[in-house]
Amino acid sequence: MPESSSAKLTDSKPLSNLFALALRLLWRDWQGGELRLLFVALVMAVTSVTGIALFTDRLEKALLLESANMLAADRIVSGRGDLPREVIEEGQARGLRTAEIISFASMAFSNSGNMLVSAKAVTDAYPLRGDVIIADEPFVRGRPVQTGPPPGEVWLESRALPALEIDVGDTIFVGEAELNVSQIIIAEPDRTGGSMMDSAGPRLMLHMDDLEQTNVVQLGSRVSYRYLFAADTIEELDSFEEWFRAREEWRGRYYMRDIREESEEVAEALERAESFLLLGSLFAVLLAGVAIALTAKRYSERHYDYVAILKTFGCTSGQISFIYLTIQLVLATGAVVVGWFLGWLVHRIILVFLESLLLVSLPQPDLQPYVVGALTAFICLLAFALPPLLALRETPPLRVLRKDMSQQKIGANVLYVFGILGTIFLVYWYSQDFELTAILVVSVSAIAIFLSLISYFFLRSSGSAGMKAGSAWLLAMTAARRRRKQNVLQVMVFSVTIMSLLILTLLRTDLIEEWQAQLPENTPNHFMMNITQGQIEGIENFFAENGIEGNQFYPLISARVTRINGDIPEPGDEEQVSVGGGTLTENAQLDDVDLDEGVADTLTTPQTDAPPVNTEEATTGGRRVRGGLSRRQVTWAEELPNDNLVTDGDWWGVESEPGYVSIEQEYAGWLGLQIGDRLEFEVNQQVVTAEVSSFRSVRWDNMQPNFFIIFSPGTIDHIGATFLSTALMEQEQKILLNDLIRLFPTMVIIEIDELIEQIQTIIAQVTSAIELISILVLLCGALVLLACVNASLDERFHENAILRTLGAGRKLILTSLLIEFASIGLVAGLIATIGAEASVYYLQEEVFEQEFALHYWVWIAGPLLGMLIIAGLGVNSTRKVVNISPLNVLRRVI
Amino acid sequence: MIETRNLVKAVDTSEGVLTILKGINIRIEAGESVAIVGASGSGKSTLLGLMAGLDGASSGEIILDEHVLSELDEEQRAILRGQVVGFVFQSFQLLPSLTALENVMLPIELKGDPQAREKASNLLDRVGLAERWHHYPNQLSGGEQQRVAIARAFATEARVLFADEPTGNLDTATGSKVVDLLFELNREFSTTLILVTHDERLAARCDRQVRLVAGEVVDAEQTEEAVSA
Repeated sequence: MPESSSAKLTDSKPLSNLFALALRLLWRDWQGGELRLLFVALVMAVTSVTGIALFTDRLEKALLLESANMLAADRIVSGRGDLPREVIEEGQARGLRTAEIISFASMAFSNSGNMLVSAKAVTDAYPLRGDVIIADEPFVRGRPVQTGPPPGEVWLESRALPALEIDVGDTIFVGEAELNVSQIIIAEPDRTGGSMMDSAGPRLMLHMDDLEQTNVVQLGSRVSYRYLFAADTIEELDSFEEWFRAREEWRGRYYMRDIREESEEVAEALERAESFLLLGSLFAVLLAGVAIALTAKRYSERHYDYVAILKTFGCTSGQISFIYLTIQLVLATGAVVVGWFLGWLVHRIILVFLESLLLVSLPQPDLQPYVVGALTAFICLLAFALPPLLALRETPPLRVLRKDMSQQKIGANVLYVFGILGTIFLVYWYSQDFELTAILVVSVSAIAIFLSLISYFFLRSSGSAGMKAGSAWLLAMTAARRRRKQNVLQVMVFSVTIMSLLILTLLRTDLIEEWQAQLPENTPNHFMMNITQGQIEGIENFFAENGIEGNQFYPLISARVTRINGDIPEPGDEEQVSVGGGTLTENAQLDDVDLDEGVADTLTTPQTDAPPVNTEEATTGGRRVRGGLSRRQVTWAEELPNDNLVTDGDWWGVESEPGYVSIEQEYAGWLGLQIGDRLEFEVNQQVVTAEVSSFRSVRWDNMQPNFFIIFSPGTIDHIGATFLSTALMEQEQKILLNDLIRLFPTMVIIEIDELIEQIQTIIAQVTSAIELISILVLLCGALVLLACVNASLDERFHENAILRTLGAGRKLILTSLLIEFASIGLVAGLIATIGAEASVYYLQEEVFEQEFALHYWVWIAGPLLGMLIIAGLGVNSTRKVVNISPLNVLRRVI
Repeated sequence: MIETRNLVKAVDTSEGVLTILKGINIRIEAGESVAIVGASGSGKSTLLGLMAGLDGASSGEIILDEHVLSELDEEQRAILRGQVVGFVFQSFQLLPSLTALENVMLPIELKGDPQAREKASNLLDRVGLAERWHHYPNQLSGGEQQRVAIARAFATEARVLFADEPTGNLDTATGSKVVDLLFELNREFSTTLILVTHDERLAARCDRQVRLVAGEVVDAEQTEEAVSA
């Protein structure tokens, strides 16, 4: 009996040899093209993630910087009346940079003229962010400075000079102070971020030290106070904000804001773009993941024989794993390096064509995007490629004698589990959103089950035997049925890929269309208020003479709901309601003011210092909370305003009768109103009753006058109102504002042209980014389709070689392949369309907060594209079936 | 030395348990050349696979180079194969992505021998493929591929060589040349040769024949009876 000690069996194979073998196999497989698709898929994953991460990282930093420039600070504290010194002292104690602003409307006098100006007194440190652009003469390009005027000097906006009939170097009076006009303000960072007092006329900037001398600011003056803060790190700001918000006694009196609360349009565009980019990069990575899984599976199937032979030479399972792990890691490392470079290139390309749009130089990205890119590659590999490759270790060596033996121990289910877990991890990792991940997982699982059932039934065998090799059609159909299981998988992969591409295309189109619709080319950029009935004709004539595009005049009057169907609503019943969406000069704000604050204050915007009616707002992070019983600026109109839709009831139309009122639908909800309810209003201390005849939806974000409450003509006309209108003035027409104000001195003009331009710029930037991401995802999708077609190549080669050996012609085989792929593509396209519409419905309703509408063109384009793409790719990839000799195929020399 | 004791191999099929080998007892001495012959389905290749440690037996024992294979797991059997065994297959089993030289170098390199290239090139010279080192398998004829496989089998100076139908995919003339080469190298390296074949002429060149009929070893007389029955 021999000694049967297995201890004698020690493995002497050095790791370096295995490593060298792995590299050689890698090199050979690379040359043979086997690994290229896997490599490209990995590169795509890294490229899209790194590119998008780099871009969003820098864009976000840039936008935050740019946004901070819009404030001239990182955080602003404002409020009614003088601000507590404690705030600025605390900021200084914490090492924050601080500045102070006091703005007020005042008259400026020269020797030969006077005009209403928006005066702004600033301390030395102003601006904390961004630049003031100044020049030595009016109406020229200026130079940036990071300071305000020194004591004794004032800076004026260009158009004030002709109105005051002065030149640079002359002196003017502001209140009792005589100050020297030393520079012209071409632009200032927070010009659009100020209050009503900042929009009253051209800017006049002076030093804080001169303020007292003017003697303008006295008890009871309408003055806006602001403290500005800036810090190097977000943490410092957050901690300061936390300290500020903890002061209960300041709640409702003083407000701390950052850019997200300053301009909801910017914040919303940015948020949506980020959501889209996140979704885009997620799709790109998942599609690349599917491509990786498919190519890795095919690669591993083609390596069964390799492994069996290596095992006969004495390689253990552990060594097999080492070899294939090495191959994958080296491949992934290469892919990461190439992906980094391409990702960097992609983000550079985006930046190059966005450079002219970006107003600030971009900060350098940190290393995180590269880390994210690399980790993505390795996670993709771990989840999608390693399972089939590691399963190779289970290949029985007996396969060298018996071809029919293959690895069985790790079943397909385990591979799916790895893929699914990897996918969930990636979704969570990118989104950091547990709910989104859960929803995505559940819905994708449901879609997958639904898709597989549909595909299975579609391809279900009719039960007939044989290959039906007589006609291309029958041959194709029987081939599709015979490979039913693989085809169900293929249809699923194709469907999911096409679906992802459709979803992204639909979202992209809808988002961009909505943005463009929100601020079309001819969006009015000036609001005019406090217009009397008698001035309307004169203003219209002025516009006509000067080629200015004017708009409808809306009467404006303050009103409050006092009774609903005779009952006095209790303030306690009133719910605190939050409203997202529009802001700025839309009449949502026009409504949000107290009557006694006067008409000028009807222009309360989130930028202003006047607090909203409901003081809860200050702590709700930018979402405005309104009370249904607050005073509202109301109007009356014969025609339904643009962008308003009647959602219930009827609009009165041309033959309107007095005594009716139309209510914005959300507002109606707050008050629990029904059509037909009788409302009692207090309007200018008079009681007016009206019946609710319709509810309306209002587009708050269109920068147009919008109203919660509109009366039918004749209901409140007798009470007397001022009028509001808008106009579009080009840059070169702005000088006409001087004449306009001279002609109609009581009129208040709000200039929002810079703001609109800024928003349009940001929208243009994110639109371009979205386009590029869409292209990246399209490329990933194409890769998956290619990988999926390739996955079934071996079997097709073999089968068609046998058919050709048996005498089937090239034409028959090619036609049959075309029909088979086209039908798979058609089914996949149709399923993808259904899935895409369902997903877009969810995404638009829940994530992007858009209105969903069916996209009819997709129902034709989806199946048609599916058919064309899959048939094209499939036939192109399998064409060599008929170009290689059947003998070679049968000898597996392909 | 290789010995099997009451070796049984049974597999589960949809129609019940199928016993392929039914208590095989063989002893093959070191340096001996033995042909395992028999009709298709008689269990020749299964026996070869078991003796080479490529598969596990259902019961019984196999002793290969003083190791009881049933006491080894697949990892240990792999190490043993690497140290003791060489193979020549009917379908050559060359790695298609490696050149002829690299295919021969592969098992030598796996053993950690720094002389891999030199040894492999000598062997390729020896099998008459000096000019074809850098050709890939698909650029070689069947006979040439089998010669590369023979060179690879002897590359690690294995003590036992298993050959499964080494001429099965070759025409008679080529097959004959390949067999000449195999026996020549076998003598030269003093290897124990165990080959499975249908080819009576090839079997006749071995020192001894083991005939399998329906999973059992029969001697020559029994075989004739079984065939004539």
